[in-house]
Amino acid sequence: MSAVLRNPPLPPMQESPGLWALAWRRMRQDTVGMVSLVIVAIFLAMMAGSYTGLIAKDWNKEKGVSYANPAFLAGAENLEARSMAAKDATAKAPPVDLSDIDPLAPRYKEWEERAARIAVTETKRAEVLPFGGDKWGRDVLQKAIKGSQISIFVGLSAALLATFIGTMLGAAAGYWGGWANDVLEWVYNVFTSIPYILLILAFAAVATATGKFGKGIVPIVLILSLTGWTGIYRLMRAEYIKHSNREYVKAAQAIGASNWSRMFIHILPNVSHVALVQLSQHVVGFIKAEVILSFLGFGVPVDMVSWGTMLAEAQNELVIGKWWQLFAAGASMAILVTAFSLLTDSMRDALDPKLK
Amino acid sequence: MTNLILQVQDLDIAFQVDRKSEPFRAVKAISFDVPTNTTVALVGESGSGKSVTAMSILGLLPHNAIVAPSSRITYFGSNPGSAGGRDLLKASRDQLQSIRGKDISVIFQEPMTSLNPVFTVGEQIAEVLRLHMGMGIRQAGARAIELLGEVGIPNPQLRANSYPHEMSGGQQQRVMIAMAIACEPKLLIADEPTTALDVTIQRQILDLVASLQVKHNMSVLFITHDLGVVGDIADSVVVMQAGEIKEQGPVKAIFEQPQHPYTKALLACRPRLDARPRRLPVIDDFMKGEGRVSVGDRARGTTPGDPIILEVKGLTKTFFLKEGLFGKRAVPAVRNVSFSLPRGKTLGLVGESGSGKTTVGLTLMRLHDATSGEVLFEGKDLLALSEREMMAYRRRIQIIFQNPYASLNPRMTVGHILVEPMKIHSIGSGERERVDMAFQLLKRVGLSEQSFYKYPHEFSGGQRQRIAIARCLTMKPDVLICDESVSALDVSVQAQVLNLLQDLQDEYGLSYIFISHDLAVVKYISDRVMVMNEGAIVEMADSDEIYRHPREEYTRKLLSSIPKGYQLAALPS
Amino acid sequence: MTAYVLRRLWQIIPTIAGVILLIFFLFNWVGGDPAMVLAGKISNPEQIANIRRQLGIDEPYWYQLWVFVKQVFTFDFGRSWSTNEEVSRILITRVGPTLTIMIPVLIITTSLAVVFSIMVAYVRGTLTDRMIMIVCTVAMSVSFLVYIIVFQWLFGFILGWFPVQGWSESFGKNLGYYAPLPIMLAVFVGLAPELRLYRSFFLDEINQDYVRTARAKGVPEKSVMLKHVLRNAMIPILTNVGIALPGIFVGSFLLEVFFSIPGLGREIITAVNRSDFPVIKAVTVYLAVITMFINLLVDVMYKVVDPRVSFK
Repeated sequence: MSAVLRNPPLPPMQESPGLWALAWRRMRQDTVGMVSLVIVAIFLAMMAGSYTGLIAKDWNKEKGVSYANPAFLAGAENLEARSMAAKDATAKAPPVDLSDIDPLAPRYKEWEERAARIAVTETKRAEVLPFGGDKWGRDVLQKAIKGSQISIFVGLSAALLATFIGTMLGAAAGYWGGWANDVLEWVYNVFTSIPYILLILAFAAVATATGKFGKGIVPIVLILSLTGWTGIYRLMRAEYIKHSNREYVKAAQAIGASNWSRMFIHILPNVSHVALVQLSQHVVGFIKAEVILSFLGFGVPVDMVSWGTMLAEAQNELVIGKWWQLFAAGASMAILVTAFSLLTDSMRDALDPKLK
Repeated sequence: MTNLILQVQDLDIAFQVDRKSEPFRAVKAISFDVPTNTTVALVGESGSGKSVTAMSILGLLPHNAIVAPSSRITYFGSNPGSAGGRDLLKASRDQLQSIRGKDISVIFQEPMTSLNPVFTVGEQIAEVLRLHMGMGIRQAGARAIELLGEVGIPNPQLRANSYPHEMSGGQQQRVMIAMAIACEPKLLIADEPTTALDVTIQRQILDLVASLQVKHNMSVLFITHDLGVVGDIADSVVVMQAGEIKEQGPVKAIFEQPQHPYTKALLACRPRLDARPRRLPVIDDFMKGEGRVSVGDRARGTTPGDPIILEVKGLTKTFFLKEGLFGKRAVPAVRNVSFSLPRGKTLGLVGESGSGKTTVGLTLMRLHDATSGEVLFEGKDLLALSEREMMAYRRRIQIIFQNPYASLNPRMTVGHILVEPMKIHSIGSGERERVDMAFQLLKRVGLSEQSFYKYPHEFSGGQRQRIAIARCLTMKPDVLICDESVSALDVSVQAQVLNLLQDLQDEYGLSYIFISHDLAVVKYISDRVMVMNEGAIVEMADSDEIYRHPREEYTRKLLSSIPKGYQLAALPS
Repeated sequence: MTAYVLRRLWQIIPTIAGVILLIFFLFNWVGGDPAMVLAGKISNPEQIANIRRQLGIDEPYWYQLWVFVKQVFTFDFGRSWSTNEEVSRILITRVGPTLTIMIPVLIITTSLAVVFSIMVAYVRGTLTDRMIMIVCTVAMSVSFLVYIIVFQWLFGFILGWFPVQGWSESFGKNLGYYAPLPIMLAVFVGLAPELRLYRSFFLDEINQDYVRTARAKGVPEKSVMLKHVLRNAMIPILTNVGIALPGIFVGSFLLEVFFSIPGLGREIITAVNRSDFPVIKAVTVYLAVITMFINLLVDVMYKVVDPRVSFK
């Protein structure tokens, strides 16, 4: 091969589209998938906007009267606002006594005290808010935006962490086999032999009792990801076992590629679409779980707002006919989760055309 | 005038791949006849549309298939040849259901997946009898046992209660055949029925189909890619390529006086047992009208004084399966295999599935850990080296795998695939030099320079094998293991790759270990041949010697199972 | 078969040990001193001292682990930290109401999902199929909480068809009067995801080669579905039910909270709220053990539906 020394001019570079680019092309043909993607993007933008304080900054301000009517129901009678105006600050007792089963019952008082502390500057309160007000007259629309921020952020970061844990452990078990596999399979068996809800609640019990999991939303993210990695682990392990035996990996071994290179340069890009679909599925699952845990009082702390804490307030509001907070939280969550699920489906189809 | 059982006229089938693109035309206005009591072979390479044609007869096409309205498939049921035929393409679902399995039945390529895993084979045969013959459970069950006996399943009484996974591939295909002939069909469609089977089993299944065809007075439409099989079994042949019929006629005419260049090419580019041209003819030689390139035969063989590059002594590999409470069961895959590979020569390794031939290749590259034995490369035992010491030897022994779709990393460009091994082994002084070398090699294996920037999925199977070969060549190896490297390729592509391998051996003096189940290919490419069965060497000799004078019974059985094709069958032996 | 069961039982031992370790790590090591945990929840210092002594808090960790292991194997977790009721007594009395809700839920949901999904798979690719799938996706996106809040309000308060909440001593009255609304809710919510999942099982099977064989034999399309496909799809469906089975012991916790049903789920929520560790620990360990045995049972039952399973 003496010709090598001549160094001929390289032909023009025309990089072909890789598999990711092809998947994106397939995805763009999928109308449902693209609409979902836009919706998810809007929610993410909203999350960013609310985080940086561009929107929904003053969600915590009590701008309207108690249970202010939504703009489209401006004329409806609002007994609660009137009684509030009459400085009847005591909480209206719900028509049915739920206190013995309501896990939040002990906290109502605490909340009211806190609310009383905040409500010092008596400004002119609006009779009507765009999507109505809550008990303290806060704007439900802004609350929903702020709530989306927290709920999505919790779902996203917990899913990222769980996917990372699951992928790393799955790669180790699937690629190395042997005792690494035995140990990780044992850990997996231990985690999955406890019913999932119970596992979450056990972690939540320790987290709420000791405060050792951190402050704010950190505990809920840790609880969800530390209990939720098992399914991803199992799938990634299977993928790694499958791919370790594929001929392209054997060929990489034959050319002398190191274990590290085979695991992460050769195999990982070929299984990362599985991880991506899992990530997306877990975002949905974790958002739903966050809502339930926050409702029960084990998730997002009460001084923050998430869809779960909104629903916790909404239960008693519905009984007195104030349905807008329930609707705002329930609907914004349903829209996001629907879009996310449809996006996941079309992503899976686009990434793996064989599945169709 | 011959009586027809089936007449295909202007059959035209397209597939709607996705909503936005034009439908892909798989079958282009083809017409052919199937007379009564005859076997018609439909021959073509992958993508020729032969299987699509067969599936359209019984309306078993996938949902995205579009059959042109002008197409007609006329079935002359009870009175062949009369005008009273029925157009199957226009038949209602109920009508089709009453014809399927009764008048026309099918056997498929993969018997394992084609049988329902959760029903016994007896139940599955009985089902068709109960559907079409109105038999009761007991009667159908008894008849199923008779049928199993007829297709040569030993101990049918007992085997009727077996599940498909408890049977071998050959037996499963016999069950499929029993199911197909259960209702005395007039036409049996056999869609590559022996492709997934070993050569000795293939021989048995072919003989069975041939004998049943005569016994039951049926016609057979035999779909295959293998012209050798056609010569054995068919009365007339239809040659298809890219959705069109290139040529059709009686088997004698097709084999003795092929008219179309494509037919000529197909016949010529498959390696034969009786000749060894210097270079295999390829399709282009015929299609471009350049005629047959004949440069005489190549001599093969080894002499005792040849320098040895690789010597294997007592290689053994045992797998362990878990069994019982704490038990392990030893499954020997390779038993005490010894051989030597002379420099610049080719050692052929033949055997049926499960013979351990692939394990030998993987073990001597240390892709599997050997249980015991030595692999001496230039006098050094590779199996005794540490991983670090082995690195220096890794590049000198390389391997090309069977499946061209799985052996290249789909997420890497061809350029990346070629440059990576050079980087690992510090071949070439810099990125630029490596890239240059990659371009040279791409050209050498017959690919354009533009390929450097492309991804594997943009290439055909044959091209991918060329890329895999180029990857090996980047490391300038001494020994190349070809593990069924041409088995998955169409016969015309196979010839091209075999020619390339031969050229490279002549140019660089490479030594090959050529592993294959295809005895004709091994005979063509090898100097020395080693026959393996159940993990052990049965016989080893120079290739001409072993094919002319096989010493062992097993070798003789293998050789006699090779489909002879029409020409050889006509020759006096 | 016997060897298989014995081997599986043998394999359960390290898993149980792992569960004990995990729970111990979580509650004793991360959880730490009950005096800290219970600060502000129990004011009686004598009681706290008692608990600390019982758990051996001032002893080394190996001794605390030994105490915990003894508790597990003697079925004696002592008394609840908040109600002073015996833990074993709590577990036994709370299981009944939970199962009264969850067993009907499991049976009804699974059978409805199988029936509907086979119907949807039969019309796969049509507009009906796509509409049902979209409705399912949307239905799955609404939080369980919203369903409970709205259903309880609508059927309980507004329409008054069902009691808003409550539970009684009589099994018949519970099942016939108090349970229907929670059961209906759980079935309604559980149906959509299962329908989607089972449909995908059926579609996987429909694309198999043996289905083509059945069609080529002239088997009518309906019996292709009801005989060949259904029998094969039952294998992943059974797996799925097997995975869901252990969940019936706690699965209804939200319903129990809302409908005031004195079951295990509500008990756990209360325990988490009150940091009542003994109750949570006991429920977790014993449910894990039950889960392992249910899994073993399901694997043995596999043999019935899948002849390919061998117990080697």
